[in-house]
Amino acid sequence: MIGEELLYLTVTELAKRIEAKKLSPVQLTKAYLDRSEKLGPRFNAYARLTPEIAVQQAETAEKEINRGHYRGPLHGIPYAAKDLLAVRGIPTTWGAKPFAQQVFDHDATVIEHLRRTGAVLLGKAAMIELAGGMNYRFASASLQGETKNPWNATCWTCGSSSGSGAIVAAGMAGFAIGTETWGSIICPSAFCGTSGLRPTYGRVSRSGAMALSYSMDKIGPIARSAEDCARIFAAVAGHDFDDRSTLPIDKAAFTYSASMEITAKPLRIGWLTNAWKTLDKDVSRAVAAAEKVIRRYFTLKAARLPEGPFEEAAGVIISVEGAAAFRELIRSGRVSELADPLGQINGYVNEQISGADYIRALQVREILQQKMTALFDSVDVLVTASQPIVAPPLDTNLETGLSFPDPLGAIGNLCGLPALSVPCGFSEGNLPVGLQFVARAGNDAAVIRAARTFQQHTEWHRRRPKIPK
Amino acid sequence: MNGKKSGVSRREFARQAVLVSAAGALKPFESVVSPESGARVDVPQEPPGAPKLSGESRAEADARYEAIIKQYGDRFSGDQKKDLRRLCYAQQPQLERLRAFAVQNDDSPALYLKPLVERDKKPAAVVPPRRAS
Repeated sequence: MIGEELLYLTVTELAKRIEAKKLSPVQLTKAYLDRSEKLGPRFNAYARLTPEIAVQQAETAEKEINRGHYRGPLHGIPYAAKDLLAVRGIPTTWGAKPFAQQVFDHDATVIEHLRRTGAVLLGKAAMIELAGGMNYRFASASLQGETKNPWNATCWTCGSSSGSGAIVAAGMAGFAIGTETWGSIICPSAFCGTSGLRPTYGRVSRSGAMALSYSMDKIGPIARSAEDCARIFAAVAGHDFDDRSTLPIDKAAFTYSASMEITAKPLRIGWLTNAWKTLDKDVSRAVAAAEKVIRRYFTLKAARLPEGPFEEAAGVIISVEGAAAFRELIRSGRVSELADPLGQINGYVNEQISGADYIRALQVREILQQKMTALFDSVDVLVTASQPIVAPPLDTNLETGLSFPDPLGAIGNLCGLPALSVPCGFSEGNLPVGLQFVARAGNDAAVIRAARTFQQHTEWHRRRPKIPK
Repeated sequence: MNGKKSGVSRREFARQAVLVSAAGALKPFESVVSPESGARVDVPQEPPGAPKLSGESRAEADARYEAIIKQYGDRFSGDQKKDLRRLCYAQQPQLERLRAFAVQNDDSPALYLKPLVERDKKPAAVVPPRRAS
């Protein structure tokens, strides 16, 4: 009998037990499936479970391990994949009614990579319809309805990787795969108290993944520690002939070993002073305490983000690329089948943005990339709160309630910078607060190292929500 | 000018005229003094909750709204039309801030375009040799 304690172990800890044959991948998979069947519907966390695939993959993993063929740290580890990643023969709905019956005859490259490492697919995680590509006003903008936060079921998980965040937070899988165009890994990680890595643009293949913004979409892990994120990222990163946006082989691949950090030179941390206009009282308190921890282990100095219309540029690029990606949906009128009132009409507005404005946004992006390169000459990692608030109530009007400026989110995603969010405290209402680390493009290792160091000296990532039985 | 005859039938023209007038009905006009001529001109009123825009900006936002209505007008309810117009107005300051940012003619856009010549070609699938039967 596998207890809840074990289901909340990190991938790294589960892997040690599996490698030592002290934990059966089949039993672990069945335990996560049982929990997912019970809790998944309560939180609207899954688009669907795939028990047949899961049990078959777990049995294969167990046989291989018993034969002495251990593939590595993900072998036999159950996970969930956001429902915009194609899995052969299983509906891939993109969280949206017009695609509810969509079935692909191939796997996304990320799914293929994870299968090769021996990871076990438990199911497809719920998500905001079209990953928010047509914009949305309410948390209910999903085929599965609103995803509820395991820390407080009256609050939201954030989107668009809403199910991925809830699944990890509620101990329903060892890890989950999410995607981010602007905030969709970092925000659910912050609101759900999980660790989430948004890799450098082009390091993880998007082949077989729904496209929303061709020049900004990224795929990354949501897990229980920064170290887990590193191990999962190492499994899915790499050049892919089927995704021309991936970086060349030597720049895309990532290898991870905790011992690599011993010889690495000290990180210079830039503490951002202008990332958020204001922070909620609880967030401010938790982040101030986190700063003290970071100051003990790194050289820390104040840093400022460059100023300019970077949120505007990111907004225009996503709007135009999204309107192009879903052109047929808009033109056919089927966009009206989306659940969200804003999602039903916003694509029409985005279609009207001129080509000249789009190119201007791309020019601004180029200038910004140069400014950020200059900033990263003096610091290795930028740090600030992941979000200025904790998880809001489910019925919040997101158009007005979550409309605060987010220049770091815009800059990080415009420039394809890696970021990692980890929990750094809790509000008085016991909702998680996130801290994010951002580095130069390609320097994913730096954000992992900084976040891992933070987690070696704190216990926030070990906390788990009290979920009523 | 191309010599193609307009493909709009009388019925289609009438349909579009109804749509445009319906769109117009949703955006009442207000009379303002033109800063250039000093004369009073009619400009459309801002939708409720929309940002304050100059006359020129309002005209641009309304042009985008009217383009949507012209092409898709029969798809929307009255409330959706009001919301669309509000969204067109809300988009305007964002576009103007972007346009106001100084760029030079030779500032290249960051297209993320990687020409195929710079990339390795995908290897052809390995086909196992046929066994002689």
